[in-house]
Amino acid sequence: MTATHPPRRRFLRTLVAGMLALPLVLGACGGDDSGGDDGKTELSFFWWGGEARAELTAKALDLYTAKHPDVTFKKTWQANQGYFDKLATLTAGDDAPDIFQIDDNFLSEYATRNVTLDLTSYQSDGKLDTTKFPEGLWKYGVVDGKLAGLAFGENTQGLVYNKSKLEAAKQPLPKTGMSWEEHIAWAQKAGPATGLAGTQDPSADYKAFWVWLRQQGKEMYNGNQLGFTAADVQAWFELWKGARDGKATPSADVIHEGNQTDITKQLVVTNKALTSWVWANQMPELQKNTKDELGVVAYPGDASKQWPRASMYFSVFRGTEHKDIAVDVINFLANDPEAGKILGTDRGLPSNLDVRASVAASTDNASMKQTIAAIDELSKNYGPSPSVPPRGHSTVRSELIKAAEEAQYGRATPAQAAEQFFAASQAAVSR
Amino acid sequence: MAVTQAPSPAPPAGPAAPRRRGRPARHKSDGAAGYIFLSPWLLGFAVITAIPMLMSLYLSFTNYDVLSDWSSTEWVGLDNYRQMFTEDPSFWHAVRVTITFALIATPLKLAAALGVALLLNRSFRGDGLFRGLFYLPSLLGGSVAVAIVWKSMFNGDGSFNAFLGWFGIEGKAWVNDPDYALGTLILLAVWQFGAPMVIFLAGLKQVPQELYEAASVDGAGPVRQFFAVTLPILSPVIFFNLVLETINGFQGFTSAFVLSGGTGGPVDSTLMYTLHLYNKGFTEYQMGYASAMAWVFLLSIGLVTVLIFRTGKFWVHYSDGDD
Repeated sequence: MTATHPPRRRFLRTLVAGMLALPLVLGACGGDDSGGDDGKTELSFFWWGGEARAELTAKALDLYTAKHPDVTFKKTWQANQGYFDKLATLTAGDDAPDIFQIDDNFLSEYATRNVTLDLTSYQSDGKLDTTKFPEGLWKYGVVDGKLAGLAFGENTQGLVYNKSKLEAAKQPLPKTGMSWEEHIAWAQKAGPATGLAGTQDPSADYKAFWVWLRQQGKEMYNGNQLGFTAADVQAWFELWKGARDGKATPSADVIHEGNQTDITKQLVVTNKALTSWVWANQMPELQKNTKDELGVVAYPGDASKQWPRASMYFSVFRGTEHKDIAVDVINFLANDPEAGKILGTDRGLPSNLDVRASVAASTDNASMKQTIAAIDELSKNYGPSPSVPPRGHSTVRSELIKAAEEAQYGRATPAQAAEQFFAASQAAVSR
Repeated sequence: MAVTQAPSPAPPAGPAAPRRRGRPARHKSDGAAGYIFLSPWLLGFAVITAIPMLMSLYLSFTNYDVLSDWSSTEWVGLDNYRQMFTEDPSFWHAVRVTITFALIATPLKLAAALGVALLLNRSFRGDGLFRGLFYLPSLLGGSVAVAIVWKSMFNGDGSFNAFLGWFGIEGKAWVNDPDYALGTLILLAVWQFGAPMVIFLAGLKQVPQELYEAASVDGAGPVRQFFAVTLPILSPVIFFNLVLETINGFQGFTSAFVLSGGTGGPVDSTLMYTLHLYNKGFTEYQMGYASAMAWVFLLSIGLVTVLIFRTGKFWVHYSDGDD
């Protein structure tokens, strides 16, 4: 031995260093453990929403566990902001949840990249029962001929207006079936009479643009192509430029506030305009944010051009180890009367019409009742539904906001803004 | 081992004891212990910095889209870079917005930091409290909460307009106006001058008093003293802050993200480079493109930093003790 330290001390020092480092090293590469193999299954279930939704969802899933004691759930939820970032990241790590909530902004993005399980065979052998769904509704989950998601909740476009203010000023209420020109003329008169701006300018709103397009005999999309031309967009922008010039709308900076999707920023609840262009099922949520009484009607023009839209879907991850159980779970959530009662209309009107009827009968929430009645009323004369928006839809949406705001702020003519939007959305869908 | 033994004499000379070559064993074991102690950090650096960086460099030459299988990810060569420079108008727009932001916010922030540091550099009652108060906003740094407060302050019916109202000025919805939205972000950045301020304060404490005394004997007033004594002595600290804050300015993300709801609006007026990159990666799933953007970003900031270093030799004054 030639070292200056006694060997024991050197050994100790190395050992201590190792012991200090060890937990850190182990902690850094801790993996995740998978479910047990004792006949029990744990499914991961991921959704966005608030506290209330989390409680309902947990309760409904617990009910499933009560009926199938060998199936438990790892429930994860979070606010909408950042949800899709997380879902994408999990998917990238091949660690996507077994069942996840998704909407029509992203359904095609996921389905065309083979992340979602094709549910068609389950549907045809009755394991996934859509017989009680409005047909247009479940079809709104089909991407490239595959059933990529089970429509969970129905909504449709709704023009929400401030009933109290209009009645106080003895102004007529907007009605389903008004033409766009009539609507703008109504706003020009009702605005000054109530002291609020007339109607929120929806030119940046893709759903209003889409409904208007369908009324012109066009579509937002044909398959993976745009179903409109730059001239259509220009006509749409010009319609609203006319409305702005005629003082039927608030000023551009106020319109911009309403262009955000946040419910609490909608002009009808911030009292900056008489109307907001939303989804009809958002009505109860809007009602919570204002003391005034609200009403809801269809968008102007031919209301049969609106369609039953899935407010969201549940999709099953294609790489899940428990395909059959996962499908059974979403089938249960959609069709079981008890589960339906628990979930209520939190995700839109229940897809299953029988469940919907029993929920409508048992609710005592006035605006909920009104919403269900309004959507049911509109659904009587729906024509055929469009297909789910293709890949690039979320980009198209934000490009529409950008271009419409250019026109709203007067930084571009309707023609220039239309050209810009058309080129950008063309690029987005053809990527 | 026998316990009772006479202490052994010096090791016998002769061929039995081999000559050690190179480093003594003791150092070797010290090195080993050092690396073992370092291993968590090394591992962390490798796993969460180095490997991902190399990965993103590789991805920037592919069409990786986050959701698809790796099998469908293709090598596209320089295509992402070509697209960026020739086919993405928003890219150049984001570059413009970012440069505008950094060019205006950084000098203002440094001026504010230096100004307040000069005020706080004397002793008065409660100076510690004031230093703390001025430092507070930057502790809240890039936090979401501050950005939300800012958003409501500069809204049409926000407190800033109420304040203007006292002077009979009619305000507007600053954050909702494409001409002013970026201005509110710049203001927010300037307001968070606490970190450079603290560093300036430390620098000011380093200025030898006798220099001021000598200067005043020579008849220099406070202004002259500031320019002839304070600034030159402080120049290395200014340089340090300038480099740091320029990099920070280019990387601005949180406030723009919160203020515009992630869109960079109104009308892309707050579309910072990082925000555009984020949207490309996470809403359009063009992660390959976003990685390419990130590397262009890295090189650009590196270039700007090198330029600042180059100019340094003209104005940064290092006292070498014998002047």
